Amino acid sequence: MANEDTESMTFEESLKTLEQLVKELESGNLDLDKGLEVYERATVLRDRCKKILDEADRRVQKLIETSEGTKKEDLVID
Amino acid sequence: MAETITVTQLNTRVRSILNGNTAVSDLWVTGEISNLKKYASGHYYFTLKDNGSEIRGVLFKNSRGRMDFEPMDSMKVAAFGNVDLYVERGSYQFVVANMRKSGVGELYLALEELKKKLKAEGLFESSCKRPLPQYPLVIGVVTSPTGAVIHDIITTSGRRFPADILLVPAQVQGDGAAESIVAGIESLNRHGVDVIIIGRGGGSIEDLWAFNEEIVARAIAASKIPIISAVGHETDNTISDMVADARAPTPTAAAEMALRDRKEINKQLDVDAARMRRSLSAIVDRMKGRYASVDSKIAPRRAQDRVSMLSMRIDDLSNRMDSGLKEISRSRTDRLIRASYGINHGGARLIGDRNRAITGFSERLNALNPLNVLDRGYCFVADGEGRAVTSAASLGPGSIIAIRMRDGRADAEIKKVEIHGE
Repeated sequence: MANEDTESMTFEESLKTLEQLVKELESGNLDLDKGLEVYERATVLRDRCKKILDEADRRVQKLIETSEGTKKEDLVID
Repeated sequence: MAETITVTQLNTRVRSILNGNTAVSDLWVTGEISNLKKYASGHYYFTLKDNGSEIRGVLFKNSRGRMDFEPMDSMKVAAFGNVDLYVERGSYQFVVANMRKSGVGELYLALEELKKKLKAEGLFESSCKRPLPQYPLVIGVVTSPTGAVIHDIITTSGRRFPADILLVPAQVQGDGAAESIVAGIESLNRHGVDVIIIGRGGGSIEDLWAFNEEIVARAIAASKIPIISAVGHETDNTISDMVADARAPTPTAAAEMALRDRKEINKQLDVDAARMRRSLSAIVDRMKGRYASVDSKIAPRRAQDRVSMLSMRIDDLSNRMDSGLKEISRSRTDRLIRASYGINHGGARLIGDRNRAITGFSERLNALNPLNVLDRGYCFVADGEGRAVTSAASLGPGSIIAIRMRDGRADAEIKKVEIHGE
């Protein structure tokens, strides 16, 4: 998979690919150049997982039924 | 001539008329309890009433022993007993021999019937249960907007895998509750969330009743999105719980089921990091061996220096890795879980904890980068297809190579090739 795709990957996809790359590295058959390539790709994916996990702002909203359909509103709990 | 009798005689006669009449003996009377008084003797005195009328009632201590609940004011009951007259006061009353909460028997009966029916249709089968997603992006919640349920879910999810929460406010008890819950489930299915939690806090069987309604059971079964049911306390077992894909004893447990623990995920990433570390070390070791054998042919003394330097470099990397690992275990122990909501004017936001462990992971990965070996002035030479060039014999005049250095690469064309040794 090309690096450009990483940004659009979900956490689950990133983690899955990261684990595949770790297995590839572990196979022990990689040359230095290929090892580097896999390493770099794994680093990008690790950063992606980190970014998602670190995301502090999560939306807490409620769904409201209106005459024009549904809309979302921020939910404030007292 | 009319008979003359005393008050006592009159009341005694009325009493015997009442006692001998099967129309007012051994029957169930339904009504609501009010003015309940419990005496030290263990007897209960109260008024039994309905919309149009009322009667004094008494429940003697020995009859109370037959019942499995404590009578209370405004409780709707069916009381079994006889009408009697209290001669001294000339007041008649209903003497209760047994009592049950009205409607409850019928409710249980209906519940059992529905369970049988849905079971026969296979709605409780484990093959009908959908798996919960591992890393949901949005959790839908159908519950009261004011109860403890949504509060507990928001609080708990703050320390789990980060996901948005979308609440559909629903009525969870009383008339119209079942319809409201069904509408919530359908609305979230239209909206597209990854997992749904439905629930309410504890209460009487009547309070939880909406979650025993057939329309709710059918909406759960029809949902395309997996549903976690968290209704009442652990001991309450509603039909919703049985039809749902997962059953949680509490709202907190429901949030924990929906979202994996961040610490667990971090642990997983650490395991991956450790595996990468080993593999990369192996690659670096192979490089070391390669330089040693090549250099020993050019200049034995310089080769030895280089090998020593490489060894030191690798030892240094190992140390940094180890201290990185220690740092991670420490930060794990120290980590504070902050799941408070910081409410700003834009709305409620969850401030999750920062994962310092991951920072440690980055440092370790960087420390392991084989490119760091190039810091010392070594270059990495690749051929036109990106493969490592390890032998001069593989090159000839005109070959194009890519020389990779610490901070970039240079493409070069070979002018001349000399092969050392034999």
